[in-house]
Order: sequence, then structure tokens, then C-alpha cells
Amino acid sequence: MNTELLWSTIKQLWQGFGYTFGIFGFTLLFSLPLGLLVARGRMSKNIIVSSLVRIYISIMRGTPLMLQLLLVYFGPYYLFKVSTGNINIGPFNYRFIATVIGFSLNYAAYFAEIFRGGIQSMPVGQYEAAQVLGFSRMQTYFKIILPQVVKRVLPSVTNEVITLVKDTSLAQVLAVTEMFTVAKELASSQVSVMPFIAAGVFYYIANAIVEISMNRFEKKMSYYS
Amino acid sequence: MAVLEMNGIHKSFADLHVLKGITLHVEEGEVVAIIGSSGGGKSTLLRCATTLETIDEGSIRIGGIDLDYKNKKTLAQIRDKFGLVFQNFNLFPHFSVRRNITEALISVHKMSRDEANSICDSLLNKMGLADKGNAYPCNLSGGQQQRVSIARALATNPEILFFDEPTSALDPELTAGVLNVIRDLAKDKMTMVIVTHEMNFARDVADRIVFIDHGIIVEQGPASEVINNPRNERTKAFLSGMRN
Repeated sequence: MNTELLWSTIKQLWQGFGYTFGIFGFTLLFSLPLGLLVARGRMSKNIIVSSLVRIYISIMRGTPLMLQLLLVYFGPYYLFKVSTGNINIGPFNYRFIATVIGFSLNYAAYFAEIFRGGIQSMPVGQYEAAQVLGFSRMQTYFKIILPQVVKRVLPSVTNEVITLVKDTSLAQVLAVTEMFTVAKELASSQVSVMPFIAAGVFYYIANAIVEISMNRFEKKMSYYS
Repeated sequence: MAVLEMNGIHKSFADLHVLKGITLHVEEGEVVAIIGSSGGGKSTLLRCATTLETIDEGSIRIGGIDLDYKNKKTLAQIRDKFGLVFQNFNLFPHFSVRRNITEALISVHKMSRDEANSICDSLLNKMGLADKGNAYPCNLSGGQQQRVSIARALATNPEILFFDEPTSALDPELTAGVLNVIRDLAKDKMTMVIVTHEMNFARDVADRIVFIDHGIIVEQGPASEVINNPRNERTKAFLSGMRN
């Protein structure tokens, strides 16, 4: 095997990995808080709010993420004749921005259902104890409920985070030069599966890091049961 | 002066009329034990008194403050006046024992950490848990957890303490420690309302026994009278059932 070729492949994949990591990081940054908000909406006593949120979750989970990405990217132009070519935020063009928006909206729906499960699994006694002790609703939520919910949802969240690492490869449909797009190009130019295998190793290492960190976090939270 | 005044309390859950006009006044320093069969309304009465349930009819006054669900300020004031000890403790599992006791003092009552800690230390001492401040609830026995929850309820220096079957979730050998703590509180003239199934304990500690059945107070009076010489047939039937 040509070590020089392997080395240059790894270097190019690593460059693509920057985008992969960007999609991953920004998606988590936006979808986790958004998911919490969506979960609140889903549990709202206002029937209009909870129904709208329920429909939102249903659509996000019921249609392909790839389709959603295409819709976010092409929608503004085809539906509203809004040109997106000039939209840039810092170093990011609209391809990348649309990818992050699509991923965030989609993952927020999944996270919302995980959070809802966690919140609803909290014993009512925790709320009652907080109430008679005089804690405000905000204090109860942020000091008593949420920290316990985090521990409860951690295993399910880890699942989603691992899926997200692999799902970043869907950004290729918007021609974002993330790692998978790069791997595909290299494979066809080299007429070899080696770039795919190398990309697979990258994904695997990334997820091994996710697994190890989440395990550590779980262990850190195991000071109580 | 009555610390707790509940007048003509009615409470229904859907079609179920649980409390049918209960009037209960508790004087300062008085210990009242509420007994009765399950489903008779004793826990609901306690939950109404502690604002966990809203009443349909009647009035509640604690420590001189009239309960008004619409007025957030008096609602907060009234919650300062009482402490509640739950059947299954409801400690915050992610907080240390110390934080369970001090958190409300610091973030609700805006007390300094040092001040809160010194209150916490003296309460833990009183509960025989002086060395447990840094432990987490999951590392304590049920009896110890219940004593922590009593300390938590006492921390804000309430005028009245409510207990909802404080020993029902405990193994028999663990009840003594909790009951002794309540006895000590009675000696210190703490005003208390205790829902309990422990008849011997009720007779020992309570100044007055209130027997509730089917949503009304059937019989009440000094412990010696109600438990030893019940007059009402329903009380007699309930007590003989408890002895068997």
C-alpha cells in the first residue's frame, strides 16, 4: 500500500472533519436547548401549543432528515424567491448554515421526546416538597427537577449523540465538504475503497470519544441514586 | 391562640366527595394525632392544610394568615408558617443532607450560607445525625432519611409541623428513631398535626386524637378517652380492627 497516498488521504479527510465537527458541535449547541423548549411546549396545558408541537415532532421524526436538509436549503428560493447565495455568517455559507438549521430542527424533536420522558418520570413528590419549602417555579425547575432529569436521560441522549456523529454524513447532499463528501471524492479519484475505510476509522474514533466522555459524565452523576 | 384554623372544609375529586365539612382548630403547643381508615380523608385534609390541594369550600388560617389561593404573597407567607414531613420523605436525592436542609434557607429566605449551616448543624445534632451532613440521601437508612426530612421541615422555624404517616414507609425496626424525634419535639412544645397508624405512639404523644371517617370528624378528644374508651361505634370498630 502506498503510504504517501494514505497519508494525503488522511490529511484531506481531516480537513473535511472540520466541517463534520462543526455540524456536530453546532447541532448539539442549538438542538439541546431547543429540545428542552419543544419538550415544554409538548407538555403545555395550552392545547393549541401542545398540538402544534406534537405535529412538529411527528413531521421531524416521520420524514427523512435528508429531505428536510434539502427543504431548508432550497425552500427559501423555490418557495419565496429569496436568494440564499449571499447569506454568510462569518466563515459559513448558506450550505453549512442550512445543514446546521436542518440538523438542529430534526434533533430537537428527538431530544424533546427524550426530555419529556425524563421530566414526566420525576416523582410528583419532588415538586410538592419544593412547593411547601417555598421554592419558586423557576427555582424548582432549575435546581430540583432539571439536574435530576439530566441524569435520567443521559443514556438516551448518548444514543442520539452517537447517531448524530454518523448522520453528519448526510450533509453531502448539500455539497458541504464534510468528511464523507471528501471520502467519496477521494474514493472515486483513487478508484479505491481505502478512503471509505479511513473515513470509517475517523467516525469510529469520534464515537469512541463520545462514548468515553459520556460514560465519564454518567459516572460523575452516579454520586446519588 | 389557634395556630391552625380549618373551618367547614369540603373537597371533592371529580365525583368523589372526600372531605364533607371538616372543622379543625389546633392551639399553640398542641399535638393532634389524626387517625382513621385508609381513604377516610385524613391525608387529603393534611394536603389541603399544606396547600398541596385546593379546597372547594371553607377557610384555612395558619399562623394568623388567611389562605387565599389567588394571592401569591399570602400563599408564600402561609407556606413559611408550616413545615410538612411526607410519608416517603421526598428528599432531594441529588443534594447532600446539608444542602437538602439549607437550600430553601439560602435561596428562598435569602439567609447567608454560614447562618444556614449553623441552623443545619444544630438540627442535625438534634436528630442524631451530626456526622451525616455530607452524606447523600441514598446512603442513609429510611429512618435517617425521615429524620433529615424533619430537620428540613424545621429549618425555617415553622409555627406548626404536619406529618403525613411519617413511619408508614419505614421498616418496623426503624420507626423508633423517628418517633423519638417527634416525642422530643412534643416535649419542646412544637405544635404538630400527625396523621398516623401508630396507635400506641398517638396515645403517648398526642394531646388530642381526631378520628376521621368518610370525610367527617367522627370523634375527638384526649388520647386516653378516644383510644381507651371510644364512644362512637365507628371508632370502636376501627380501633378493634387495628388491634387484631
